[in-house]
Amino acid sequence: MKKVLFIKFGELFLKGKNKKEFERLLLENIKRKLSSFSFNLEQVVGRIIIFDYDEMEENLIIQNLTTVFGLIGVSKAIEVASNFDEISDFISKIEIDGTFRVNVKRADKNFPLTSVELERKLGEVVLNHNKNAKVDLHNPEHNINVEVRFNNETFIYYETIKCDGGLPLGSGGRALLLLSGGIDSPVAGYLMAKRGLKIEAVHFHSYPYTSEQAKEKVITLAKELSKYCDEIKLHVVSFTKIQEQIHMNCDSEYMITIMRRIMMRIAEKICEQNELGAIITGESLGQVASQTMQSINVTNSVVTLPVFRPLIAFDKEDIVEIAKKIGTFETSILPYEDCCTVFLPKHPVIKPTIKKAVCQEKFLQIDDLIREALNTKEEIIIRR
Amino acid sequence: MIFLDNAGTTKMFEECAETYSFYACQEYYNPSAATRKSAKISAEINDVRSLILKKLGTMEGTVIFTGGATESNNLAIKGAIRGGDYEYVFSSGEHPSVLNVAKSLQMQGKTVHFVKLQKNGQIDPEDLKSKLNQKTRLISCMFVSNETGAINDIKELSKLRDKLAPNALLHIDAVQGFMKIPFSVEDFKVDMLTFSAHKFHGPKGVGGLYVRKLNYIKNIVDGGGQEYGLRSGTENVPGIMALRTAIEKIDVRKNYENVQSLKQKFNEIISKESGIKILDFQGSLYIESLVFTGVKGETMLHALEEKNVIVGLGSACSSKKAGNRVLSEIGIDKNDIISSCRVSFNAYQTLDEIEKAADIIIKVYNDIRKRVS
Repeated sequence: MKKVLFIKFGELFLKGKNKKEFERLLLENIKRKLSSFSFNLEQVVGRIIIFDYDEMEENLIIQNLTTVFGLIGVSKAIEVASNFDEISDFISKIEIDGTFRVNVKRADKNFPLTSVELERKLGEVVLNHNKNAKVDLHNPEHNINVEVRFNNETFIYYETIKCDGGLPLGSGGRALLLLSGGIDSPVAGYLMAKRGLKIEAVHFHSYPYTSEQAKEKVITLAKELSKYCDEIKLHVVSFTKIQEQIHMNCDSEYMITIMRRIMMRIAEKICEQNELGAIITGESLGQVASQTMQSINVTNSVVTLPVFRPLIAFDKEDIVEIAKKIGTFETSILPYEDCCTVFLPKHPVIKPTIKKAVCQEKFLQIDDLIREALNTKEEIIIRR
Repeated sequence: MIFLDNAGTTKMFEECAETYSFYACQEYYNPSAATRKSAKISAEINDVRSLILKKLGTMEGTVIFTGGATESNNLAIKGAIRGGDYEYVFSSGEHPSVLNVAKSLQMQGKTVHFVKLQKNGQIDPEDLKSKLNQKTRLISCMFVSNETGAINDIKELSKLRDKLAPNALLHIDAVQGFMKIPFSVEDFKVDMLTFSAHKFHGPKGVGGLYVRKLNYIKNIVDGGGQEYGLRSGTENVPGIMALRTAIEKIDVRKNYENVQSLKQKFNEIISKESGIKILDFQGSLYIESLVFTGVKGETMLHALEEKNVIVGLGSACSSKKAGNRVLSEIGIDKNDIISSCRVSFNAYQTLDEIEKAADIIIKVYNDIRKRVS
């Protein structure tokens, strides 16, 4: 009998021939996440078991595991041998006051009792040892879960702590997140990382129009995100000169449209240089003038890489809820200006056209500006 | 001089003084200003927060820096008060910075319960059970007693909370535990935790409150909104950075082992003198009490100081008042209390030093006993 953490993982079984690779990645991610702890890990079919850890660190290990994408739940469990006597011996020691039910999962079909038979027998054991216990199959106060696995291993546990689900980080490739400092973009990054994308981020910075605090704020956000996304390479691009040039040469109505088109171009270049396969933004349809369907069309038209906008159909409240859950909200609402607000025109165009945008851009030396911005780019590696 | 009052305060590491001076005289910028220098300082403060979370063994919550443990305790308790029919539960062995806040809640008409201590100095679980219910808003309890060294079973306490008072916040005063005894906030499942830098070789005047969620408490001081609005006032940057230096220098597990051998040696020598009783509550290795039969504790304290050994008389914050509240609470004989001194070690003392101190204590005791009898 030993204490273990019993880990279930999600969609991987859907992956057919790629399943092995996904599992390898998942194990690697778990090991990296828990690198500061001492423990042993064992993979049994369809489950992962962690054991030989410092009991004082148990809850902290679980807390860490809930941020590993691809896992659906962790339970504090007891491992016993798969025979009725050993199982019932442990069950007989459980103290139950109130209603309960025993749930058996029998993966090992060689076990002599069926799931239902074992449930009944173990239920009897509980009733025999606890005066105040009562069976309730529909809404029990206590669940006793018994999983009979292969290799003579059976796991007994009460509750399962929910993990985030999704796919193992890195299993979907790597992508670049446009990280502004607001509420939306960290959430967008989190959601795409949850679908298996390893994230790098780009932040556009307009010192001295924006403060160093605005940059620090983005670093803090990236740190919060790295809780889920492992290490993040943050590219900080100085946008000052580009903004000044747009301000001087272009129609103020089109300021934001042109800015965003240039940001997208720079983002695509960074993707090329770093072998990233997509751009991620926190845009949500209709939230502001630059996020109308027409605006998105005009900014999207300058790049050929796929642009993922996971928040496109989200309401603000729903985004805020996720931001609070992942711990970025408190930082996001700190009151530092980001580069989009400095030269903000009074009336940004709501329905821009590609034709007009292209026409406006003729007044700029776009290629030179982009080259210079990329040459002076700063790279920061962020770990939690 | 041999200092055996380390539960009262500790000698600051020299390195902390260097850090302090660097951030007081060179990087002296106000973290709230809009300059790059200020942004850097502000980011560094956040790094110290992360470091403390790591040491506390959690990924959740944050740390509010304060002017020390008394302020942290005030913020935790007063900040958690809500209007309405709530109840507040405290252990009766608390430090004055909790106990007196509890009393003032009582004066304001709040329902306040005090939980008895057992003979071993720990909070009485049966008495606690009887005082918890659905209306309980806050339970505040010490992790390690500053008077007896008794360690409360916080894990058990938090289980009782989950079962009987699920709406209650659990706050622990871990001043004698943080950076001294290995523990983890996630293992304990507490919501708030108080610590103070000068108890582990950091500077005086800086401490903090760990909070699992910021909305657990409201601010008790209004101002510029620093520290997430919960502790306005320009941050004590040199203090916070010196606190970081102390944390970085300490190896908690190794220190605990060192103190174990110090205490063993000390008790081995002291126990040879039958007139001195060791009150050991099987708690923190850092703290114990000695009873000098037939001699007043205070007399011993003064006489030992003459011989360059410093001991304590219970909480320095309350030692000026007659008697020792906590010792009498757990049923120690009144004469024993009058004859008692508190001895507390630090991990950087040497066996030689401790041996020497123990010899002096025995010698001084015999000397005085002869004179007074």
